[in-house]
Amino acid sequence: MNNNGSPMKRFACLGATMMLGMAALLPPQAFAQVPGRFYWKTLSGGSAVPLVFESISGNTNPFDSAHTVNAGADLDATMALVGYAQTFTLLDRSAMAAIILPMGRISGDVTVAGNAYSQSVNGFGDPMLEFNLNLIGPPAQKNIPDALRYEPGFSVDLLADLALPIGEYDSSQPLNIGQNRWYGRLGAPVIWQLGDWVPGRRTTLEFLPAVWLFGDNDDYVGQTLETDPMFQLDAHLTRDFTERLWGSLDASWYSGGQATVNGVEGEELSNVGVGLTLGYAVNDNLNLTFGYKSTVNDSDPTDLRMDNFMITLVYGWHPLIEGSRRLKNE
Amino acid sequence: MAMETVMRHAPRVIVGKPGTLRRLLGALGLVAAFAVPAMVHAEDAPRRPNIVIILGDDLGFADMGSFGGEIRTPNLDALANNGVRFTNFYTHASCSPTRSMLMSGVDTHVNGLGNMDEWTAPNQRGAVGYEGYLNRQVLTLPQLLKDAGYHTYMVGKWHLGKAPELIPAARGFERDFSLLDGAGSYWDMTNFTGASPKSVFTEDGRYLTKLPEDYYATKTYTDKLISFIDANHGDGKPFFAYVSHQAPHDPYHLPKEWRNRHVGAYDKGWDAVRQERLKRQIELGIQPPDTQLAERMWFVPDPIVLAPASRAILGKKMELYAGMVENMDFHVGRLIDHLKQIGEYENTIFIVFGDNGAEGTDLFKMIAGSPGSRDYLFAAINWSQTNPNAWGDPGSYVGYGPMWAQVSMTPFSQYKGWVAEGGIRNALIVSGPAVKRPKGSLNHGLMHVADIMPTLLEIAGADYPKTHEGRDAPKLIGKSWNPMLAGQTESPRTSEDYLAWEIFGNRAVRQGDWKLRWQYKSFGKGDWELFNLAADPAERKDLAAQHPDKLKQMLALWDRYAQANNVILPSRSAFETLEDQLPPRVPDDSGYPPMIYKRQFVPPADMVVDPRP
Repeated sequence: MNNNGSPMKRFACLGATMMLGMAALLPPQAFAQVPGRFYWKTLSGGSAVPLVFESISGNTNPFDSAHTVNAGADLDATMALVGYAQTFTLLDRSAMAAIILPMGRISGDVTVAGNAYSQSVNGFGDPMLEFNLNLIGPPAQKNIPDALRYEPGFSVDLLADLALPIGEYDSSQPLNIGQNRWYGRLGAPVIWQLGDWVPGRRTTLEFLPAVWLFGDNDDYVGQTLETDPMFQLDAHLTRDFTERLWGSLDASWYSGGQATVNGVEGEELSNVGVGLTLGYAVNDNLNLTFGYKSTVNDSDPTDLRMDNFMITLVYGWHPLIEGSRRLKNE
Repeated sequence: MAMETVMRHAPRVIVGKPGTLRRLLGALGLVAAFAVPAMVHAEDAPRRPNIVIILGDDLGFADMGSFGGEIRTPNLDALANNGVRFTNFYTHASCSPTRSMLMSGVDTHVNGLGNMDEWTAPNQRGAVGYEGYLNRQVLTLPQLLKDAGYHTYMVGKWHLGKAPELIPAARGFERDFSLLDGAGSYWDMTNFTGASPKSVFTEDGRYLTKLPEDYYATKTYTDKLISFIDANHGDGKPFFAYVSHQAPHDPYHLPKEWRNRHVGAYDKGWDAVRQERLKRQIELGIQPPDTQLAERMWFVPDPIVLAPASRAILGKKMELYAGMVENMDFHVGRLIDHLKQIGEYENTIFIVFGDNGAEGTDLFKMIAGSPGSRDYLFAAINWSQTNPNAWGDPGSYVGYGPMWAQVSMTPFSQYKGWVAEGGIRNALIVSGPAVKRPKGSLNHGLMHVADIMPTLLEIAGADYPKTHEGRDAPKLIGKSWNPMLAGQTESPRTSEDYLAWEIFGNRAVRQGDWKLRWQYKSFGKGDWELFNLAADPAERKDLAAQHPDKLKQMLALWDRYAQANNVILPSRSAFETLEDQLPPRVPDDSGYPPMIYKRQFVPPADMVVDPRP
């Protein structure tokens, strides 16, 4: 009959294990369209570097968050995003600040104001600042006990994005990596926990209602591009398959965002996209997702048409976790 | 047990005043009992009381609110407030030996539980009294009560035998819904080992193929008992109900709504909670004002040295345990409410206690073994829900460990499996018509679980037969509580009476304030120790060297006990290698080593400067 012979050792191992477990919760960072579980909360004071690779084709410039449709265009893009995110506590609530820099290349044929362009461009896009603050839900995870006890329940955040117009831009060309205008987003990410919060069994229904707001581009191939606000609603039904593997059904709806070029109005967006995502926590620091998304109501030339393969790699760390790892390997 | 072998008397305890009236009614009852068959008990006047025994599995001495616990047990406390709490009540150090004495009133070494079935030693095999189940040589309380005209019901854990002739229905229970094993899942039939993967249940004497829909042990046991009571209510016969809850024995399986009632409350650590409980016990009069806590087990750290995460995760185990106790209390409350609704509460005697000390041993570690073993594989498949958020779910296994077991046994030393006070002394509440002492009072008389048999037989008006199956019936070792419950005495025992225990080779004797104890190293010295429990209930000071005469006298009692009860010390024991597994035992000196208690030095503010450039 054993009697818990060396509890100190067990406690130390337990503590380290629990702390290291937290790193797996660091969320992936990405650009405008993000996979499910993006806004899951984690331990305050954590950091993450996301790497996102996307292969996109369709009739819109994927570097342009307005998703302005260019009828008849046939574009292919390879986009990469790299960023840095920091979690912290603000007024006892979970908060996250991030900066994300897009880069990549895009090529294809575009027609603007009757002029056809065949282009291939590459470079750095507009960096985006992101700030997210939880408003409804459990308090911030300021320490490991908070993280151990965390369950999202029903959480609502305030999200604000702002893109800085410093990306590469050529005013003589309609296709650009940078957008030459200020734009941003206000949103309210919602996480609704369905059932237990146990790794291997977690299920969530997540929504991201948001409004994109765009400044004018006064030098869009010599013309002025104005874009109305655009409403976005992303939805994800996510479910753990194992403690490390999860998947989600994804859907997006875009509405509004009517573009006007020198007073000539384009079409309003009203499009739906659906997709699938698989996520895998490689280890305590590294998360990986694979996703595919495609528009569905895109038969008309003026409809948004886009399909997108996305791979995200997120490396997260926390000083406490790293220190514990060093001690554990001592 | 034939009906003719039981002599029934009118109940003693319903009569308000002792003396002539009682004797008269007793005589009338005796005459009536002989004159008419048992079925006419509806006409008994006065009516005999119902009896409900509520047994908490591994429930600790200090867990209920009425015994100093911070755990919210309003229904059990209400029984305490309506009855008497006893502070010197003894069980055995593990479950089936206690249950065997409760059911038979006979010493464990005679009734078949001289050792736990799971640990029968090679030299005990085949010996009468060491069968590992409640042997057929003993008479049982439910059988005698049934013969005396009681309905007899049992729900919950049995752990006294699984064969058809050993199950509750064969030992006197008219209706039952029973877990025959010692533990298992609260949600389903999953048990612990590859060799014995399924818990075995019986209902009314038949083995169950599956459990009812919506099964949760504590709830279902209560539902079943209520249905048993209702089925016969109104026929005029009293009932005896043995409510042998599985709770709060590990694994701590618990409905979700009961898991988060103490979030963070135990992060303060076991020492602080023990101190708080002792303070309340002193305020309640359960312990004298100068009581010292038993030393913290030497292999358990001072919680102040633990990181917040460790304290949170270990505290969560205690949160779950508290939830288990509160959930059990809730269902006890349901039973009480029902008895009130049907008008039986006022005529019901309640006896509430835990079956042994709280569990400090890591049972799951014992069960699951090591990687590569059969039972580890079984555990990997069936018992590996280890995430704290899964604790309480099917497939999770949480026990709270030695540190919280010591809290449950405040202020005593050690826990279940050992014959230190923390293994064998437990809280006892008795309420109902048998009790004439002031409501809510305390009593410090020396009590024992084997006393329940003669006490209840007396209350039911039944005698213990002299013979059984052609042989002398085994001797009852208990003393009736009835004179003490009536306020005529302060203890069922005189200063000459003694109690004795032996299990796994650990042994003890108590007489008056003195206790003799032998335990395997390192929990004991591998030698006899002597304690004065009046001055030292926490067994901190071994007085064997200081009191050689008392030691000799107590050793003589031990020899007497061992001889009278055919005690065969085991040639193998669960604890035989324990000393090699534990860190060397050192005294727990408060504040030592100073290194872990010294805080950051803060110099005088007026002497603090920045460095010169």
